[in-house]
Amino acid sequence: MKTLPRIAYFLDPGFPGGTSGAVAAELAAIANIAQLEVHAVSSAMFGSKTVAPQIRKVLSKLGLDLIWDAPVVSGDVVLLHNPSFLKFHREVNQKIIADHLIVIAHENFLRPGGFESFDVGHCLDLIDRCSLTLQKSIAPISPYNRLGVEQWLSANSAAGHWAVVEQDWFNICEFEIFPPTKSPKDRRGRHSRAGPEKFPLLVDMDHCFSKSAQSNVILGADLFLNEKLDRNHWNMVPFGGLEVARYFEMIDFMIYFTAPTWRESFGRVLAEAIAAGKVVISDPDTASVFNDAIVPARPSEVDDIVANFVSNPKLYRDQVIKAQKNLTAFSASAFRQEFQSLINTNVRRAA
Amino acid sequence: MILIDAGQRDTRAFDAKILFAAQLSQAGYDVVIDEKTTPQIIDRNQKYEAAPFLTDIAQIVISAYVMIGAETICDETLMSLRAYQLAPDVPVSATGRFSDAQSLISSTAKISFALGREANVIDLNESQGRQLLTSSINPLVAATADIDETSASPAELFLFLPQDWLDEPGNLAHLSAMNHVPGFHLNILITGKGKDLIHKSDYSGVSVFGLNEMPPQTLAKRAGAAVFLGDGVPGERMAMFAMDVMCRSGVLVDCTTSGAFVNSGAPALRGPTDLAGLPNFLQYTVATNLVELGRQARQSNWLDRNSIQRLIEALGPGFVARATPPATTPKPQTIFLPTNGNGLGHAQRCSLIATAMPTAQKPAFAAFPSCIPLINSKGYSCMPLVQKSQGHDDPFANDLLNYLRLRQLFNPGDHLVFDGGYVFDSIYRTVMEKSLTATWIRRGLWQAGQVTDAALDRERAFQQVIVPQEAFDELNTAYTHGLSVHQVGPIVQDVAPTPGGVEKLKQKLARTFEHKFDQLVVSMLGGGIASDRAAQLHALCAMLQQRPNCLHLIVVWPGSRISAGLQGWKNTRVVKTKHALDLCQAADLVISAAGYNSYHEILYHQIPSILIPQSAPFLDDQERRARAASDRGLAAIVLADELLMLDREVAAYLDNGKSATIRAELEKTVLPERGNKRAAELICAKVNR
Repeated sequence: MKTLPRIAYFLDPGFPGGTSGAVAAELAAIANIAQLEVHAVSSAMFGSKTVAPQIRKVLSKLGLDLIWDAPVVSGDVVLLHNPSFLKFHREVNQKIIADHLIVIAHENFLRPGGFESFDVGHCLDLIDRCSLTLQKSIAPISPYNRLGVEQWLSANSAAGHWAVVEQDWFNICEFEIFPPTKSPKDRRGRHSRAGPEKFPLLVDMDHCFSKSAQSNVILGADLFLNEKLDRNHWNMVPFGGLEVARYFEMIDFMIYFTAPTWRESFGRVLAEAIAAGKVVISDPDTASVFNDAIVPARPSEVDDIVANFVSNPKLYRDQVIKAQKNLTAFSASAFRQEFQSLINTNVRRAA
Repeated sequence: MILIDAGQRDTRAFDAKILFAAQLSQAGYDVVIDEKTTPQIIDRNQKYEAAPFLTDIAQIVISAYVMIGAETICDETLMSLRAYQLAPDVPVSATGRFSDAQSLISSTAKISFALGREANVIDLNESQGRQLLTSSINPLVAATADIDETSASPAELFLFLPQDWLDEPGNLAHLSAMNHVPGFHLNILITGKGKDLIHKSDYSGVSVFGLNEMPPQTLAKRAGAAVFLGDGVPGERMAMFAMDVMCRSGVLVDCTTSGAFVNSGAPALRGPTDLAGLPNFLQYTVATNLVELGRQARQSNWLDRNSIQRLIEALGPGFVARATPPATTPKPQTIFLPTNGNGLGHAQRCSLIATAMPTAQKPAFAAFPSCIPLINSKGYSCMPLVQKSQGHDDPFANDLLNYLRLRQLFNPGDHLVFDGGYVFDSIYRTVMEKSLTATWIRRGLWQAGQVTDAALDRERAFQQVIVPQEAFDELNTAYTHGLSVHQVGPIVQDVAPTPGGVEKLKQKLARTFEHKFDQLVVSMLGGGIASDRAAQLHALCAMLQQRPNCLHLIVVWPGSRISAGLQGWKNTRVVKTKHALDLCQAADLVISAAGYNSYHEILYHQIPSILIPQSAPFLDDQERRARAASDRGLAAIVLADELLMLDREVAAYLDNGKSATIRAELEKTVLPERGNKRAAELICAKVNR
């Protein structure tokens, strides 16, 4: 009988939103093709032992225990998700022993303009100091994310021993698929956490959610609400103030721009909107993750793009269906295939 | 306008913003602080210091933005930055003391998210190296400026003392002894509470400043040397003060137990850590080498690395070019500032002194609205000040506005002449901050409770005090002493009667009021602000109505309010005039309060009078003044409740020859020479210094 590879996860399980959602989907996807251990590190970011609900749920479903602060984390492969969780750590007390250590770079290493998003050197150095492995790799999660990883590594020669995994370690996107509406209206919306990096400049928000729209729903608008921003034509709702399903019922277009100095590394929220049958418009960098599933644009172009889709329902329908088809590239089975290929290629196994 | 912001929105960050704004302003930059960032609770001193910079951002064009304390940035600050919607060409910089690279990266990213582009983020740990206070929000840089020559000799010594050192009884005695160290004039820097304790002690003669009483750079301008006692560097304000002292070639003596200043690399001199050893050290080590020690400190590399010039360079070319060139220095001017008081006495006295000044040195005025007509009538321009009002939130709100106006009005080199009892914050601060030369005209005869250290404490801002004397010696008391306190004769208007002028005036009055009279009575009991004299006036009207051959004039200043009921008496007329003295000189009897001006005008112009002193806790001691004249047979005194006595005295003056008797006594009495001219000379001497 063939022995399943021993895969140890090493992570801070407190990350909210996309990162924990991606890890949870990944655990579920590979549970039957690997022996899994999940090691948690007491967090310096989210309080000592916070566990995101998605992680808690999947561990329960798979019957796995979360192992806190084990002195040694070992496996054929150790997967360290999102190294930025180490940015506030002064040291790592665990030892990582593995054939292959793969660091999955959820958070972009670099922001637009080449500025570090976090102290990458510090985090990788901590990982180096606590790990004994034959091979160390960094796995980018999207084309944009990859650009930052490669650019950072080329600028930091001391990190030259880190390899870069060839295939993107993408987020699994398996959402229920809804058909597009037959009669799209100029009903726009966006949803995200309330962080300032998630929002473009006000002038661009005004372009994206203009008075000409039939409705504008801003879910996660906590900052604007706190500021008492005067925009009568916006329906501003705090993060978590509306069921996402209800929110999708209220819109036909997802208009998603971030601060120009920040980019989504993957953008699960956009995949979610595509699955919900919406046309998604975003900046070209973010749009590149999903091939041509997202309409790339500048904020000033949004009114015209939306008007074009509204006046041409077939175009709207074709765009959504094409985008939903693209999502299959991010399915659990696709991930399993990529994962097995990576493990088989790189892990030296006993005969 | 350069907008100054801070990462946090608490009181400490706000204070740091004020200090930094003041420092940049002094370096020639137009800086503002968003008024919306003012914390809910700030103290009185902070309000004064912040007021010149607080601005409604919607009303200005932001030319540059600087955030200090960027190591921790709250959401409110980021949202404001986003809301400013700064144009792409507006330079944005931030300073902080970042504990590590991650802290710098986080702050840089946060600012960029709010701004939509990258900012110039400066890590002060890197650019400045070791610092006096590693936790300061303020960049803590030193700004060079000229030494304030108004306090050049002897050198002012500022000594910081932790408040708990006052618990040791011997320390106050040591401080008192230190007040006599040759070569220095001692000023203690201590908490506000500590200042109160010293003022209440037996050693109240020492000059004491509260830590927040003045901006650090204002104190530093005066400091030839600064001594710090205690455990370490006592907060950002004092650190900034120390920086400025060193940068202005002052000597910084580090007497802290930790050697905090010396160990930071600052060019400070290590001194004894106890008070007992300090006087000798100051006298024989510091005083004798003051200039050389200051010169060496000024040349320190550490100071250069921590200079405001270095910081401005680091802020980028967008900032370097934004210093406004120094305006052409206007010709120095003398500006009189009479307090509002309860009448026009202070303004009147100032105008008399101003009139005695040479024409070439014609002064200007800043005064409260009630005084402006009088001042204008004498030919002087006047900037209006704001009167206190019940409608203001703060009891000192009007003074805050006046502070802003005075800051605008005065330029370094100007001479401020204040006449009044209490030196308002606006005046005190303007004199100190602008390094003005200043004269305090302070008449005496204060009531016992008014003579306090707190009231006299601010005398140190003035180069001289002119004390207009009372006519009689027993009324003169010296509240402070020294070479800068000058006694001058009474300041009194001098209106020489013209031959036949009295008769002509009486004829004119008879025609004007269509009332023939033989006797003229003038009442000048004030507008009722300090003391309500309506009962006395009505009584006078009633008793004089019994005398058909008498004309009774109730004389008040134009604009004064007067009880409507007084208009109905047959031979009483209300006269609003600036020329009360002319009427008094024509009168057979004047019934007057005993304020300084009217009292001395009556005496010096030999006018028969009944004095009804006003009494209020904030007034001078008018009863003593009235009695001094009464005891000499130069007037009668009638207290406010003695209406029967008033009736008898009026009869005595008008029917029984007392007017003539008093006038004869006044003619015989030798009064001190008027002090108008001497006061004017003293002021001019300071102006021409």
